[in-house]
Amino acid sequence: MSSELEVAVEALLAHSLDAWRVCANISREADGGLLIVAADKRVHIARAPPNLPFRWAVADAERTRGASSVTGVLRHVRAALDPNHRSVRLRIEPLPPASS
Amino acid sequence: MIPIVVLTGFLGSGKTTLLGRLLRHPDFARTAVIINEFGEVGLDHDLVAVSEESFIELKTGCLCCAARGDLALTLEDLLRRRAAGTVSPFERVAIETSGLADPAPILHALMREGGLAAPLALCGVVATVDAVNGLATLERYPESVKQVAVADRLILTKTDLGQTQPGDLSACLAALNPTAIRLEASFGNVDPARLFDMGLPASLRARDVPTWLGSDVHTHASFKNHPAHLSCFTILRAVPLKAVTLTLFLEALAEHCGGDLLRLKGIVNIAESPDRPAVIHGVQHVFHPPAWLDRWPSADRRSRLVVIGRGIQQPWIEALIDAIEAEVAEVAAGA
Repeated sequence: MSSELEVAVEALLAHSLDAWRVCANISREADGGLLIVAADKRVHIARAPPNLPFRWAVADAERTRGASSVTGVLRHVRAALDPNHRSVRLRIEPLPPASS
Repeated sequence: MIPIVVLTGFLGSGKTTLLGRLLRHPDFARTAVIINEFGEVGLDHDLVAVSEESFIELKTGCLCCAARGDLALTLEDLLRRRAAGTVSPFERVAIETSGLADPAPILHALMREGGLAAPLALCGVVATVDAVNGLATLERYPESVKQVAVADRLILTKTDLGQTQPGDLSACLAALNPTAIRLEASFGNVDPARLFDMGLPASLRARDVPTWLGSDVHTHASFKNHPAHLSCFTILRAVPLKAVTLTLFLEALAEHCGGDLLRLKGIVNIAESPDRPAVIHGVQHVFHPPAWLDRWPSADRRSRLVVIGRGIQQPWIEALIDAIEAEVAEVAAGA
């Protein structure tokens, strides 16, 4: 992993672990992926194989999940490492037109 | 559009005195007032001199806890009566919260679809802070911290009492909310023009944006001694953001910060719209669609996002935007 994106994803994951107060280490693997090791979890993040309709693959001991963006990667990593987090979906609420 | 101003502040901080003074000012005569009192006997009603028909006392419960539906119904009723001519044609609505109210759920309710009847729109938040007891209140009551943190205008009251600690309190307020404009009210008097010039996100003119964002703040401030761990910081981005980057960023912010995001407001240079910046505004996970300005308010074309939240870290936000931008660039390049 060496592209600008992959460096940015590694930095994002490192900051995310800190922000979520998850005690874990992140390291780069020989296959180019990233490995996050927490007390009782290991999560591997890599580019998805080209034959899959995803950009990323996030794997833990139970399963591998596809993600189409870094925000999807973040969602899967948090679900694996911070299971008590209750995520909230963005809501866009319209304003009345300024002329009314 | 009829602007709504939320007037908040802790118990005894001078909200009602301030409101009473303001409503005597000719410029604010056409104001409908909703006061949320949380107690057996409402007194504030008697302390505010305003025409009876456009005054409503909400005593069914604290607005931030259980009575948000009542607020929406009350606003709808006010509009119906205004249209029917049974109340004076008010030009703004002031909602005074109870002193113990957490303002975030109230703002949340005012921003939600269906939460407001059509011509009404949240304009801004004014918070009163007692210059004598304010510091002790902020140290003891998380509600008062949130009231200060989400405000667009902070009004230091009781400065006429002579027992104040303006330096310490001022530093505390600056740490909690460096973007809010701070004003002093002596005997409840404050220049109303400075109080309600916040503007509506949907109708902001370019020149109003710096005021709405709260001067040119490039600082990070936090109030970590308080259990609420509130912080306020500004994200600056020199390179325009793609529209999809902004969308993904806001989705991730809502998903991971949710209720800890007390407020986000900003002006964004969108790559697809270089001459018309987008103004964004959100409370918790609820955002309004971007409002597009006709032009930039100044020669400074950097995106500026003011983030007020609990436990939200600036480096995480920066890293999130960096990663999304890098992925959007990679996809655009065909990788």
